[in-house]
Amino acid sequence: MAQSPRKQPRQVSRFALAKGFVTVVISTLVLIGLCYAFAPSSLAAGALAGSLPFAAILMIVGLGQMLVVQQGGFDLSVAGGVSLSVVLATHYPSGDNAQLLPAVLIAYACAVAAGLVNGFIVGFVRLNAIVATIGMNALIYGVVFAVSGGVPRITTDLLAQIAGGDSFGLGHSVWIALGILIVTVFAMKKTIWGRKFEAIGANPLAAAAIGLDVRLYQMMAYVLAQLYYCSAGLLIAGITTQPTAFQGDSLLLPSVAVVVLGGTSLLGGRGFPISTAIAALFLNQLSQFAFAVGVPYSAQTIIQALALGLGIGIYSIHLPSYFNKINKLSNREEEDEAIVS
Amino acid sequence: MKLSYLKGTIALAASVLSLAGVAMADTPSWCGPNKASLALLDGFGGNSWRLVTTASGAAEAALCPSITDYQYADGQGNTQKAISDIKSFAAKGVNALVVFGDAGPAVLPALKAATAAGSIVVPYRVDVGGEAGKDYTKFIGSSFKDDGVSWGNWIKGILPKGGNVLFLSGPAGNSQGLDELAGMKTVLDDSYKFINPEPFDVTNWDPSLTQQVLSAEIAKNDKIDVIVSDFGPSLVGALPVFKKFNRSIPALATSDGNSLGCFWTDNVKDNPDFKLFTVATGNDNVRLAVQWAVAEATGGTLPTEEIFKAPVFEDSVSGKPSAVQCRADLPGSIYLSAVMSGDDQAKAVTK
Repeated sequence: MAQSPRKQPRQVSRFALAKGFVTVVISTLVLIGLCYAFAPSSLAAGALAGSLPFAAILMIVGLGQMLVVQQGGFDLSVAGGVSLSVVLATHYPSGDNAQLLPAVLIAYACAVAAGLVNGFIVGFVRLNAIVATIGMNALIYGVVFAVSGGVPRITTDLLAQIAGGDSFGLGHSVWIALGILIVTVFAMKKTIWGRKFEAIGANPLAAAAIGLDVRLYQMMAYVLAQLYYCSAGLLIAGITTQPTAFQGDSLLLPSVAVVVLGGTSLLGGRGFPISTAIAALFLNQLSQFAFAVGVPYSAQTIIQALALGLGIGIYSIHLPSYFNKINKLSNREEEDEAIVS
Repeated sequence: MKLSYLKGTIALAASVLSLAGVAMADTPSWCGPNKASLALLDGFGGNSWRLVTTASGAAEAALCPSITDYQYADGQGNTQKAISDIKSFAAKGVNALVVFGDAGPAVLPALKAATAAGSIVVPYRVDVGGEAGKDYTKFIGSSFKDDGVSWGNWIKGILPKGGNVLFLSGPAGNSQGLDELAGMKTVLDDSYKFINPEPFDVTNWDPSLTQQVLSAEIAKNDKIDVIVSDFGPSLVGALPVFKKFNRSIPALATSDGNSLGCFWTDNVKDNPDFKLFTVATGNDNVRLAVQWAVAEATGGTLPTEEIFKAPVFEDSVSGKPSAVQCRADLPGSIYLSAVMSGDDQAKAVTK
């Protein structure tokens, strides 16, 4: 039994490290080329200004999901987390700028609470992440309904200005997303906590053996993820002016897709924040491309699915052997984990 | 003392009689003498339009004193819950059910069962299939085609030589959007070019998707003369995108909403081409359905109307039947076209 899983991950994950970045950059460049040739309007400054805020939101949500995936989990409470912060940020202030700050604080407090419960159930009670987070999602939606009856109100002017305004030619939401990306990269790659976080994701047993607090770090992944979702929800509330109470629903699948496209292994381990961010740009540009070519809706959906399939499919193509050397260490980690699991 | 007591009694009796007379006079003809209970069953109650609609349905039912009990259930967008709501209310013996069958024909078997159990069943607005008089009592539809005709006529008025039309609707293939398009096409000839993919741009009535679709369309089309949308308020977040292209917001034919009226008022100066025409969003469709259900259940006179026709509401060009309305003091998520007053709607959506 131990033999077959041992071989399997070796094949799949051989190029996982650098390939995530290479794949997503190549895919994005090819897509931009296609846009230039077939749908130049999707690259117009105005079109980018209109669509980049949504790429920024997807980027933030994707980074949150990435943290959970790095710990070998899945967070399906993305939809609830985002929708709750949209509802809280619009319902409590009800148009009054002075009430915005308390509402934002409440939203973050709720996010921490949801994350703690998720993390506790997965990290300490050891319940399957998918089951736990589906349950949490339903619970959060209960709160969404309790707070708002399913009806968020119109955004305050202040939030619309903060999230929807422009500075230096780019939307504030894009700057905020870049800020979050930089902080994430720095924290993960340059701090002790970040290094421990990745090590625990790669091999929880080994990490536990050397005395790291595995459960605490796993729990923190869910808490941090909820904070990211909350931030994304606040941006949505500001950008869309009159949001619905279910804005998070359409982000669940894309949030997983950008993590996978970015090259983070679903088995956990090393995370690729920059690749995940580029993947968010890729997905966003892909839908803009589909809109811009002006084909019927059915064809738009097929184009998106095909491009996504191709993007992820590149992982199965072998690249030159020098990638092997780079990835040796990571392979060994994932191999060990495959044996364990 | 005795005389004054008598006088008082007579005065009281007279006032009671006159009150009764007023009540008789105010009781609408569709409200019959038989006592009955009524339930309003929503397939999905989670937006401000539905809250106003629900409050309007309750207000209409309250006009009839023969309705002894009024209940409401929200299917929360879950077809199974909607079906179970219909069945359980029929099982409880509620006399009349007014149903917003969001799930379409999926709720038909439940409606059939409720009808067979002896309830008056009136689905409205969303076509549930089946046959009126057999599977349910009466279907009170809304004429979306008429909305399309109204928009078409207005477009013809402001663009007599033709132009580029961008039509946005909800989910792919929704019958409302298709009917509206059919209505517009009866009025607009080939000189009016629909620049969206056939039959309309899909927005799911989701403001964030609307915004993304609109930016793509603006970038693609240098000339958009008029935008048609069947949910005006969802455009409020998206229309500022025109500014990013340094273009004026074009003419807009849509449905009303306070946020949209206020948006027009605030932005018309900077956008010389921004003309606005709205049809009523149709909150009062439920009133006609309630009237039919109550008339059937209480033995009242049946209404003459069978289809709800949304009236034209605002026209910024002619000012008729109304100029663009904005109540900045009330929430943006109310509909000033509804019979219910803006203040009462504000209470319904902010409770």
